Amino acid sequence: MSTMTSPMLAIAWFDFARRLRMISTYVYFVLFAVLAGLWMAAAGGALASASVNFGGDKVLINGPYALAFGIAFLGFAGVTVIGSITGRAVQQDFEYGTYHFFFTAPIHKRDYFFGRLLGAYLTLVLIFVSIALGIVIGSNWPGVDSSRIVAHPSWESFVRPYLLLLLPNMLWLGGCFFVLAALTRQMAPVYVAGVVLLVGYLFAINLLGDMENKTLAAFVDPSGATAFDVLVRYWSVAQKNGEQIPFAGELLWNRAVWLCLGIVVTAVGYRAFRMQAVASGSGRKRRMVEESPVAESAPGLVELPAAKLDRSAGAFARMLPGLMRLYVAEILRSPRFLTIVLGGVLLVIGNALTLGSFYGTNTYPLTYKVLDVVGGLFSLFILIVTAIYAGELVWRERDARMDDITDSAPAPTWLGFLAKLGALLVLQAILLLVVLVCSIGVQLAQGFTRIELGHYLFELYVLQFSGFALIAVLALAVHTLINNKYLGHFVVLLLFIVTSRLPDFGFEDRLYRYGSRPEMFYSDLNGYGHFLPAVFWFRLYWSAFAMLLLVLAYVLWVRGRDAGWRGRLRTAAARFTPAVGSIAGAAAVAFVATGAWIYYNTHVLNPFHSRHDVQRMQADYERRFKSLTGIAQPKITAVDVHVDIYPQQHRARLAGTMTLVNKSAQPIGDLYVLYPKAATAHRVDIGVPARLADEVPDMRWHHYVLDTPLAPGATSEFRFDLEYGARGFRNDGADFVVLDNGTFLNAGLNPDTTLIPSFGYDESGELSSDNDRKKFGLSAKPRMHDLDEKAQHDVSALSRDADFIAYRARVCTAADQLPVTSGYVERDWTENGRRCLSYRMDSPMAALYPFVSARYTVKRDVWRGPDGDVAIEIDYQPGHEYNLDRMIAGVKDSLDYYTRHYSPYQHKIMRIIEFPRFSRSGGFAESFPNTVPFNEAIGFTAKVDDNDPKDIDYPYFVTAHEVAHQWWAHQEVPANVQGAEFITESLAEYSALMVLKQKYGDAKMRRFLKYELDRYLQGRGLEQKGEQPLLRADGAAYVHYQKGSHVLYALQDAIGEAAMNDALSSFVRQWRFKGPPYPTSRDLIAELRRVTPADRQGLIEDFFETITLYDDRAISAGARKRPDGKYDVDLVVSAKKTRADGAGNEKEAPMDALVDIGVRDPKGTLLFLEKRRVTTGENRFTLEVTGEPAKAGIDPLNKLIDRDAGDNLVDVMRP
Amino acid sequence: MELIIRDLSKRYANGVQAIDRVSLSIPPGMFGLLGPNGAGKSTLMRTLATLQSADAGSATLGDIDILREPEKVRAVLGYLPQDFGVYPKVSALDLLDHFARLKGLVDARSRRETVDALLHRVNLHDVRKQKLGGFSGGMRQRFGIAQAMLGSPKLVIVDEPTAGLDPEERVRFHNLLADIASDVVVILSTHIVSDVADLCSNFAVINKGRVLLTGEPGTFVAEIANRVWRKVVTKAEADALKAQVRVVSTRLQAGATVIRAYGQDAPGPGFEVAEADLEDVYFCTIAGYLAAPMAKAA
Repeated sequence: MSTMTSPMLAIAWFDFARRLRMISTYVYFVLFAVLAGLWMAAAGGALASASVNFGGDKVLINGPYALAFGIAFLGFAGVTVIGSITGRAVQQDFEYGTYHFFFTAPIHKRDYFFGRLLGAYLTLVLIFVSIALGIVIGSNWPGVDSSRIVAHPSWESFVRPYLLLLLPNMLWLGGCFFVLAALTRQMAPVYVAGVVLLVGYLFAINLLGDMENKTLAAFVDPSGATAFDVLVRYWSVAQKNGEQIPFAGELLWNRAVWLCLGIVVTAVGYRAFRMQAVASGSGRKRRMVEESPVAESAPGLVELPAAKLDRSAGAFARMLPGLMRLYVAEILRSPRFLTIVLGGVLLVIGNALTLGSFYGTNTYPLTYKVLDVVGGLFSLFILIVTAIYAGELVWRERDARMDDITDSAPAPTWLGFLAKLGALLVLQAILLLVVLVCSIGVQLAQGFTRIELGHYLFELYVLQFSGFALIAVLALAVHTLINNKYLGHFVVLLLFIVTSRLPDFGFEDRLYRYGSRPEMFYSDLNGYGHFLPAVFWFRLYWSAFAMLLLVLAYVLWVRGRDAGWRGRLRTAAARFTPAVGSIAGAAAVAFVATGAWIYYNTHVLNPFHSRHDVQRMQADYERRFKSLTGIAQPKITAVDVHVDIYPQQHRARLAGTMTLVNKSAQPIGDLYVLYPKAATAHRVDIGVPARLADEVPDMRWHHYVLDTPLAPGATSEFRFDLEYGARGFRNDGADFVVLDNGTFLNAGLNPDTTLIPSFGYDESGELSSDNDRKKFGLSAKPRMHDLDEKAQHDVSALSRDADFIAYRARVCTAADQLPVTSGYVERDWTENGRRCLSYRMDSPMAALYPFVSARYTVKRDVWRGPDGDVAIEIDYQPGHEYNLDRMIAGVKDSLDYYTRHYSPYQHKIMRIIEFPRFSRSGGFAESFPNTVPFNEAIGFTAKVDDNDPKDIDYPYFVTAHEVAHQWWAHQEVPANVQGAEFITESLAEYSALMVLKQKYGDAKMRRFLKYELDRYLQGRGLEQKGEQPLLRADGAAYVHYQKGSHVLYALQDAIGEAAMNDALSSFVRQWRFKGPPYPTSRDLIAELRRVTPADRQGLIEDFFETITLYDDRAISAGARKRPDGKYDVDLVVSAKKTRADGAGNEKEAPMDALVDIGVRDPKGTLLFLEKRRVTTGENRFTLEVTGEPAKAGIDPLNKLIDRDAGDNLVDVMRP
Repeated sequence: MELIIRDLSKRYANGVQAIDRVSLSIPPGMFGLLGPNGAGKSTLMRTLATLQSADAGSATLGDIDILREPEKVRAVLGYLPQDFGVYPKVSALDLLDHFARLKGLVDARSRRETVDALLHRVNLHDVRKQKLGGFSGGMRQRFGIAQAMLGSPKLVIVDEPTAGLDPEERVRFHNLLADIASDVVVILSTHIVSDVADLCSNFAVINKGRVLLTGEPGTFVAEIANRVWRKVVTKAEADALKAQVRVVSTRLQAGATVIRAYGQDAPGPGFEVAEADLEDVYFCTIAGYLAAPMAKAA
C-alpha cells in the first residue's frame, strides 16, 4: 500500500481502493451509464418507438437545459446509491465488528470520521461520472437525429450541472446519511431517510403545480431541480439551447440552504460521534439473567416428559398461520416499516389537499378520484415494501444466524416458503388497508360523507391486490434465485423499472409484460363497465405464470449450507415430487390456455397495433392519398339519420340518408368515402350508379367510381347502414365506443368515435409531430393551412365535407336510458322495449352533432330573453348535483350578455349533458349546436368554495365559454386556415371572462388573468414548432386560449367594453351562417381596428399581429404624508417591450403606451388605478392617494403579457 | 510500567452495575482474569482498552491516565476483543498492513517487514494474500493476535482468546503470549481456569463486578491444600449430599459421578483428600467458602 502522511487520507484511500475491487461499484457505474445513455438515445429519437421529451422537439438534447435536467434527475435518482455507499462506509465497521480495531488505534476521531466520509465521496464521484459518459455515448448513438444534438457540446454544459446540482447534492446528502449511520450504527435509518427524501421530492413536484407556492417549492426540493426549473421556466426554446444555467436566484439560495444544512448536520454528527463501543444491549432493557455458577456437569435429574410427535403434512400445514403471524408481527413492529408507512401517509395527506385541482379549485373527493390520488401515490410505497421485505423474509433466518438450526429441523421446506409468501401478501393487504383508511379519512375531512365501501373494497382488494400479489411472487422468486440479498434487491428494482418502461421502447404486448393488465376506466356514470373481463383474463394469465415462478422458487429454495448451483439443482430434482409436478403442470396448462385465448382476442379478433404501427399507418395514408386533397367532392346539405344504440351489447347501428350536392364547377367522377374499419357495412349506396373501385379498410378508405360523373349542381341521396360492434378485447383493453352507460358518439370530432361516413381526404389522419414525420421520411408540415391560402377560405374549419346542413335524427337506445342529439325533440316513445326520441333542427347548422345515451336525470329551467324563452336542460348522472345551479346560472348570465351585446341566440334550447371522463369524443367540454356535452370530472364534480377568494367558479366559467361557442363557431364559422381558433376559442374564452367579470368583479379577474398568463408563458417554452401570433394561430392551446383571452381582455380594458362589443357584434352579424367563403382572423382584426382610436392602433399590432412581451417592473416607491391626510406617492418603474420570432429569439421594440399605474393599501384594495403614458426605460410618477399606501407599481392587474408578473409591485417606503 | 486500577466502577443505563469498585495492581507479565459469564470481565477489558468510559475510579499505566488520556494509551495498546469481525473481501496482508499504518508505522519499508514477521509468527504467512472472508475461526483468531501485537505494545489485552481454538492451536497461542517481552502487561481474560494456571504469574477472580480474590495462583492453591475432599457417588446420592456438604463441583468421570467438597475435615463418610488445584480455588471463591475477600497475599 502507498505511503500516506495522514491517517485520514490513509483511511480514505483504503476504503476507496476497497470499493474499486467490489462488483457493486461497477454495477452502479454501468447502471447509471446505461440509464443516461438510454435517456439520451430515446430523446434523440434513436429508439424506434421510444419518446423521452423534456421541453418539446426543438430543445437540443445535449444543450445546457436538457443536460442540466437530465443530470439533476438521474443524479437524484441515485439518492439510494448515495445512502448505500456513505451509510455502509461507517456502518460496515459495526456490522462486521471491525470497529474495535479502529477505535483502539492511535488515531483521532477526525481521521476516522472524515477518512471514511472522504472515501465514500471519492467512490460516488467516480460512479456519477458514469452519467456524463452515458450521455456522451447516448447522444452519439447511431440513429440519433443529428439536428437534435450539438456536435461539440461545451464542457461547461456538463460541468455546470455537476457543480451546481449533482455534486452539492452528493455532498450534503452523503454527509447526512453518513452521520445517520454513524450515530445509529445501523443501515435501517438510512433507508428510511431515503424514503423520506423521496417523499419530500414528490411533494415539491406537487407544490409546483400550484403556482402560488413556486418559491416555496423551489426551496423545499432538496435536489435543486425545482429551483432550477423555476429559474428557467419562462425561457424560450432558444434560451434553453444556448444559455448556461445561471447560478443565481432560487437556485443559488436552494444550494446554499441545503449545503449549509449538510454542513451543520455533519458538524453536529461529528461532535456527537464517539469512538467507543456501545454498551451491549444499548437502549433495550436486557437484564442479565442471574444464575448459579456451580458447575453442574452431571446431567439433570429432572425427567423429561415423553412428548407426542406429529410430523404429518397436516400438522405442519396447521402451523402455517402461526408462522406467518410470527413474520408479520416482527415486521409490523420494526421502526423501518412504520416510517415507510408514515412517509406514504404524509405524502397522501399532502396531495389530498389539492385533490384534482383545476385553475386552483378542487373537485369533490369522489371515491374514484381519491383512489386515483391516494392509491396512485401509495402504490409506490407498497412496491418498496414488497421489494424490501421479500428480501428480508427470504434472508430472515440467515441474517439472524439461526439458519443452521431451522434448516436442520424436520419442518418441510414448503412450510417456511409458503409462510414467507403469505407474510408478504398479508403485509400488502395491511398497506391496502392503510390506503382505505387514508382515503376515507380524506373524504371525511373534506366533509364528504358518501362513502362507497363496496367500491373501495373491490378496487383495492380485488383489482389492485391481485396485481401486487404478482409482484410479491416475482420479488420472492428473484431473491430465491439470486442468492445475495443486495444483488437481489438490485435486480428486483431493475425489473420494476424495466417492466414499467417497456412500452416506451416499443414493447407493448401485454402477453410478455409480467403482471400487466389492460387499461380500465372507472366513471361514476359507467362504473367499471365492460372493462373488467379483459382485466380478469390477464390476471389469470399472469397468475398462472406466477404459479410457475413459485414452483421454480420452491424447488430451488436454499436450505442448508449448500448454496452452489450444482447442489441446488440436485435438491430441486428431489423436491420436484408428483404433487409439485401436477401443480406446475396445471399452471402451465392454464398459462397456455389463457394465453391462447388472450392472443385470439388481442391479435386475431382485433388487430394488434403498437404505437409505432399506428404511426406508420398514418404515414402510409398520407403518402398514398395526400394528392387527392384538392379534388372536388360533393358537400353534404342534409342529414337524416337513424341511430340504434345497444349499450349492453356494445353495439351501435347507424343508418340514414345524406343529401350530397356537387357545389364545385366540375363534374365529380370519384367519391372517397370514409367510415371506420370496425363497422360492418350493411349498405353503402351512393345514390347514383357506382362501383367500389378500391378500398383500404384499415385506413377507413373506400373509393367509388361513378358510372356517370355527378354534374355541377346535381344532387344525390347517399344511403348508408353501418353497424359497429366491439369484438372481444384488445391489448389495451376493451373497446370503449359504446358503453354500458354514457355512450358518446359524434360526427366529425374524433375519427375513433365518428361512425357517420364522411367524404374526401381527411387531413386529421396525418402525423402531426415533425419528429414522428421524420421517422417515416415525411417532411415537416405546418399545423394549419396558411392564412392566405385562398382555396381554404371556402372550406369550413368544422367540417371539410359540408357547409351548413339540415338535420333530423331518430335515436333509440335501451329503455332506461335517454338518447340525446342536437335539435329539438319532436317525439318521445317506447318501441319494442327500447326508448326512442326523434329530433329535428329548425335552422341551418354546422355538420357537427353528437349521439349520447345514458341513464340521466334531467333538470330543467328557463331563460327569459327579450325575444322569447330559451329552455335550459341539464342531463346528469344522479349523485352529481353539486354544480347544477352554477351551470344554469352560467347559461343564463351568458345568454344575457351575448344576446345583449353580440346577436340573438339562434336556438330555443340549451342542453348540457354529462359524459364519462375517459370518453374519446370529448376533452373537457365540447360545443355542438344547442348541445354541450360536459366531462363529469370538469364542472360537474367541482368543489367551489364561494367564501375562498382563491377559488374560481369554473363550472360557471366553462359553461359560459361553451355557450359562447354557439356564437363563435356555430353562428360564425371560421375558414380552415391559420387564425381559425383565434376567432372561435379566443373569443369564447374572452366572452366567458367578461361574463365572469360581470358577476364576480375585478378582484377575481386578477387571479384568473395571472393563471392565463402563467400558462401562456410556460406554453411558450414547450413550443415544438414555432410560436405564431394570434393572427396566425395554428392550434397551440397556449396561444388561442391563454394569450387570446388575455390580450382581448387587455384591449377591452384599453378601448372600453362598449367599443369592443361594437366590433364583435358587427363581426358576428356580418358573418352569421355565411359561407363559403368563411371569415378569417383578418376579418375580426379589421373590425377591431375600426373601433380602436388612432392613438391606440399600436395595440392591435402588439396583441394580435406579433408576439410581443413586456417587461414591466416597479423599482421603488416612497410615500409622504400630506397635511390634509392624503399621501403623495413617488413611484419609479421601468418598462421594456420586446418582439419575439417563432423560435423565441427576441428583439427590443420601442415602448410607448398607456399602462395602468396603481397603488394598493395594506389590505390589498386598490386605492389608485389610472392609465399613464409609459415609455421605454425608467418612468417616474407622483400620485395623489387617499388612504394608506402599502404597495405601488405598474400594471398591478397583470393585463399585459409580462414575463415576470411578480415584480410589478413594490413595497412603499415611508420616511 | 505497572497497571494500577483503583475503585473503578461502571453502571449501565439499564441499572446493571457492571464493575463495582474494582481495584487491582498488575505488574508486567501475564495476568489472568477469571470469572463466570456476565462477571464484568469484558466491561473491565473494554474500559482499559479505552472503548468505554467509567463512572468512578481511576486506572493508570505507568504515568498515563487511561481514563483521561486515551490517545496516549492507544499508542501503546494491543487489544484482541472477544467478538470481532474482519472485512471479508480484503486479504490478511492488506488489512494487517492498514492496521499497522494506523498504529503509526508510517514508513512503508519497516511496516512491510513488521507485518511479514508477524504473519510468520502467527503462521499465516502462507495464506496472507487470501481474503479474510475465507478464514476459519482459528485463523481469524490468529489474525487478531497478530494485529494486537503490532507496534510493540506495552499493554496487551486479550479477551476470551482461546474459545473456539482446537488443542493444537491453543498450545500455539500460549506460546505466542509467553514470547511477549517480559516488560509488557498482558491481561488474559478467560473462564478457562487451566489457561490461567498454565500461563499466569498473577490472577484475580471477579464476579458480579467485584474482585473476590487477587494474587499468585500458587499461594491460594497452597491455602486450600488439605481442605478439598472427593467421593465417587451415584446420581441419587449426589442429590442428597448437595444439601449436606459444601459442594465445590460435581463431575462425571468415566461414567461415575465424582463430587468434590470443601471442609476443614472430611465432610462425610467415604470422602478422601483430593489434590487441590486452581479450579477448586475458583469454585470455592465463587461459592463464597473462602472466608472473606482476601487481599493480595504474598
